[in-house]
Amino acid sequence: MNERTRTKGESNFDVVWPLGRLVSPPVERAPAVLDLNGKTVCEFWDSVFRGDEMYAVLNEELRKRYPGIKIVDHVTMGATHGTNEREVVASIPDLLRKHGADAVISGVGA
Amino acid sequence: MFMGLGRAVAKGLGAADTAIAEYRGVPLIDTKEQLRDNVINILLPQILDGWGKRTAASQAPATEPKPREIVYSGTLQQVQDYFDQQLWADGLPVIPPTLDRVDEFLRCCDRSPDDVVGICQPEYREATIWNIAVNGVMAGCRPEYMPVLVAVVEAISDPLFFLEDAGSTPGWEPLIIINGPIVKELDFNSGSGVMRVGRRANTSIGRFLRLFMRNVAGQRIPPDVTDKGSIGLTFNVVLAENEDAVDELGWAPFSVDQGFSRGENVVTVQSCVNITQPTYTGGEEALNHVQIIAEVIGHANAYWSFCGIRHRKMYPLIVMSPSVAKAIADDGWSKDDVRKYLYDNVRLPAHLVEKYARNCAYNDYDLGKLVTQGIVPAEYHESDDPDRMVRVFVKPEWIGIVVAGDPGRNQSKGYVQNHRQGVPVSKKIRLPSDWISLLKRRQAAPAK
Repeated sequence: MNERTRTKGESNFDVVWPLGRLVSPPVERAPAVLDLNGKTVCEFWDSVFRGDEMYAVLNEELRKRYPGIKIVDHVTMGATHGTNEREVVASIPDLLRKHGADAVISGVGA
Repeated sequence: MFMGLGRAVAKGLGAADTAIAEYRGVPLIDTKEQLRDNVINILLPQILDGWGKRTAASQAPATEPKPREIVYSGTLQQVQDYFDQQLWADGLPVIPPTLDRVDEFLRCCDRSPDDVVGICQPEYREATIWNIAVNGVMAGCRPEYMPVLVAVVEAISDPLFFLEDAGSTPGWEPLIIINGPIVKELDFNSGSGVMRVGRRANTSIGRFLRLFMRNVAGQRIPPDVTDKGSIGLTFNVVLAENEDAVDELGWAPFSVDQGFSRGENVVTVQSCVNITQPTYTGGEEALNHVQIIAEVIGHANAYWSFCGIRHRKMYPLIVMSPSVAKAIADDGWSKDDVRKYLYDNVRLPAHLVEKYARNCAYNDYDLGKLVTQGIVPAEYHESDDPDRMVRVFVKPEWIGIVVAGDPGRNQSKGYVQNHRQGVPVSKKIRLPSDWISLLKRRQAAPAK
């Protein structure tokens, strides 16, 4: 039987939506960064998936391409995954202001 | 990795245009050369491109249906097909959420349908009395389960629970534990076959939670892929404690261990990343029982302890059949004695903790370094001997014990918890003022 065929006498159901209202907070955007010379990049690592090795390669390449770049590495910025994660995440805006971040990388996987 | 989840989180945070660079490989398997090549030729161009593109402001969310709006009309099969297409069903047949059915659920709750119970991540959607009722209908719950459903959603939307991490790769599943007179009032099974589908209260409320997480929190397996559970578990039915058995032992129910009074109706939700083998223990000596529980259930927790040790959170749960609990209690052991024994005696060689962690994701996991950083206690690095035995559990009081299962058999099972993700959160079940009469009316007249 075609699943969409109505069986004789079968009821019809008027149904409602099972999701909930989206309540995303408004977010102010940082300006685009086109030239990284003279700019500060802050890096966060969540201690997993070889992010330390990825950042080492990435930073070497960024410095090669943008000699004037300033990189604040994940060791300085601190781990983002683990105990007291809510507090760590809440402290990030102040941390970025403190280091004068123009751009941010957060990895790996989250 | 995590692309679907990353996009969902970004959208939920109001920044759907957040640039996400994708590593196209498996970092824990790729060679150093593959990783280098991936970073330079695949990741870096995406990162630079992302920094160069920013939209002016948050995008306004698309218009979505209002709570009482009819979104579809059709036969049972057509509704099922439509819900499947919209990704609103869980792969099983759902009961069509009509206004009549939802209203019947709302009559079993004293709260306004618009009341916001919490915000569910990663999609940042409101959990309301209304959508709890809708998903309760769909999962096959009875209307009088509504107070339990509300308490369950209060628990998972508590920020302590870290609901947004329910799609992490271990594929953990929430486990609901229920205590109080409501266990009998709503006919939960706490005896033989507990944790198996088959009794409507245990089964449909367990199903409800997974469905709610899918629809309101936005955790979905492909084709949407916000759920990154590599190899997931199926939903757990509700674990109801046998409080008659607990009373006979002179022990406190699980809910009292969670800070509530005996006789209160309470739900606790915690993560479960795997279930151990059935563990059989016999004899009159408590020590024999707890030794085997330490060996089997402790061992199952030991593999996963690298997470708990590092994150300083670990809440293993042991479900003990009444006869095992009685033998232990009759030998004079309290629940705290059992916990202390397990805390002191379940251990793993340090080199295995580090090996398991590094193979999972924590590629620089080093207990010595974690001690130096003040993340883990000094006892984890008292020497450089890789064979030194380190403690698996974080705190004895965090080892949960629930008495349930076949009273005629001597079995226990362990439920391994997923560190800081899905820590136990307990909520009191708030009943409507006319609960007893409502229950009598409902039980006399089956649902339409």
